[in-house]
Amino acid sequence: MNAVKCENLTKKFKDVTALDNCSLEVGEGELFGLLGVNGAGKTTLIKILCGLSEKTGGEAFVFGKSVEREMADIKPLIGISPQETSVAGKLTVKENLEFFAEIYYKDKAERKEAVERVIETFSLQEVLSRRAAKLSGGWQRRLSIAAALVSKPKILFLDEPTLGLDVLARRELWKVIRKIKGETTIVLTSHYLEEIEALCDKVAVLAKGKVKAVGTVDEIKSSVGETSFEEAFVRIVTEADL
Amino acid sequence: MRMTNAFIKRNFLEMLRYPLSYVFGIGFPVVMIVLFNIIGKYADGMDGMFNAKTLIPGMMMFSFTFVMMLCSLLVASDRTSAFVIRLYTSPMKTVDFVLGYTVPFFVVGVAQEIACLAFGGLFALIFGGGFFTFGAALLLMLEMLPILLICICLGVFFGSVLNEKAAPGISSVLISAAGILGGAWMPLDTMGGFETFCRFLPFYPSVYIGRVITGASHSLPDTGAYKFDSVAALGIIPIAVFLIGFAALALFAFKRNMKSDKR
Repeated sequence: MNAVKCENLTKKFKDVTALDNCSLEVGEGELFGLLGVNGAGKTTLIKILCGLSEKTGGEAFVFGKSVEREMADIKPLIGISPQETSVAGKLTVKENLEFFAEIYYKDKAERKEAVERVIETFSLQEVLSRRAAKLSGGWQRRLSIAAALVSKPKILFLDEPTLGLDVLARRELWKVIRKIKGETTIVLTSHYLEEIEALCDKVAVLAKGKVKAVGTVDEIKSSVGETSFEEAFVRIVTEADL
Repeated sequence: MRMTNAFIKRNFLEMLRYPLSYVFGIGFPVVMIVLFNIIGKYADGMDGMFNAKTLIPGMMMFSFTFVMMLCSLLVASDRTSAFVIRLYTSPMKTVDFVLGYTVPFFVVGVAQEIACLAFGGLFALIFGGGFFTFGAALLLMLEMLPILLICICLGVFFGSVLNEKAAPGISSVLISAAGILGGAWMPLDTMGGFETFCRFLPFYPSVYIGRVITGASHSLPDTGAYKFDSVAALGIIPIAVFLIGFAALALFAFKRNMKSDKR
């Protein structure tokens, strides 16, 4: 079963079409990248899949469940780490994780196990008792992703996870994302080409709300006859402008 | 209930770790009690207006308006950050959010009542003027709960429609207005038409009934004690109407806000 399936998905905001008949499929267990410049429609697509935004046309399914009709069934399956800081600033790292665990698990032992698991995976031991607001941007993002994984989601949406981070923090976060790759399906949005190239199994290039290309990085490069991913991306996006 | 509890706990911790909660929640009302007691002691002819029996109900109502401000600030800052957006994708329901915001501020409001009674009692001992029985104190605490809930609903409403910069500003305006319109420190019972106008709002009737419970005396000499008269009885109507109205308004604004975030 596909983790995500979009069929002619459309989203319009008054005069602006944010998504224009987008169709794509994300396989279970894949790390799927949504690549595009600012305003390409990446975040809008994620918001629709997470139930934060309502589509205006087409269909979207998460693990076979319709985002229009079965969102309540989808919610326990998904985890999201939004672009902005999305942790409780005055709570410590551990309290943040415990808070998210309490939302998703009835059993106290399960909660404890879930918190310990993400602390271990994300190497959060050294910052456990620090308040989230006092952490560096890199640690905050790491905590944000850890919080999204507490519930063991079947699919994790990472919206621009390294936006605004310095090179070192970005590389650290890549390590973390590689660590969780394979454990869950990941849909990652980014406008950093090297990030998509380094992490993703499959990529969809979005431009002006349309899916312009889908495939592996190599497939995308060869589809436009370029050897560099950057050149291939620029060509696909500029062709969309014409 | 589990999700509600988790959110209550989180909001409590956020509030307890926000220093201004203590300054505005407890510190400011206590300072006001001290100041008015000193004024009452040294200003000729005003000791009746500023003794504990008259002052405490007004100060309780006034302190709840700071709960409103703190509540609006938390709701607004959660709404404008991605934190609450992420919670919208969780299985949490509207009732979890509303109770999660209401319960911690309700507890703070009760703590304010206790602080007002404790400090009011202490200064009544120092400056004189008498106090009221333990039973009356408990009854006063109960009687003040509807206006506390009104203030929390207003906080949720302002937090739902304003951003975190505008919410405290607008709340400040209402804090000042409630102090005046509730007669917290003004002798409204000497102001004729203005007092009549204030009877239609929930602030003054709450204070008025509170003063009936404490056995306070009216501001002008020889006008006797506050009694459960028609002003008190009819005052229950605006309290009930505003409580239901603001609760509905807060719920509507919060739900609408959740929907508009989805667009």
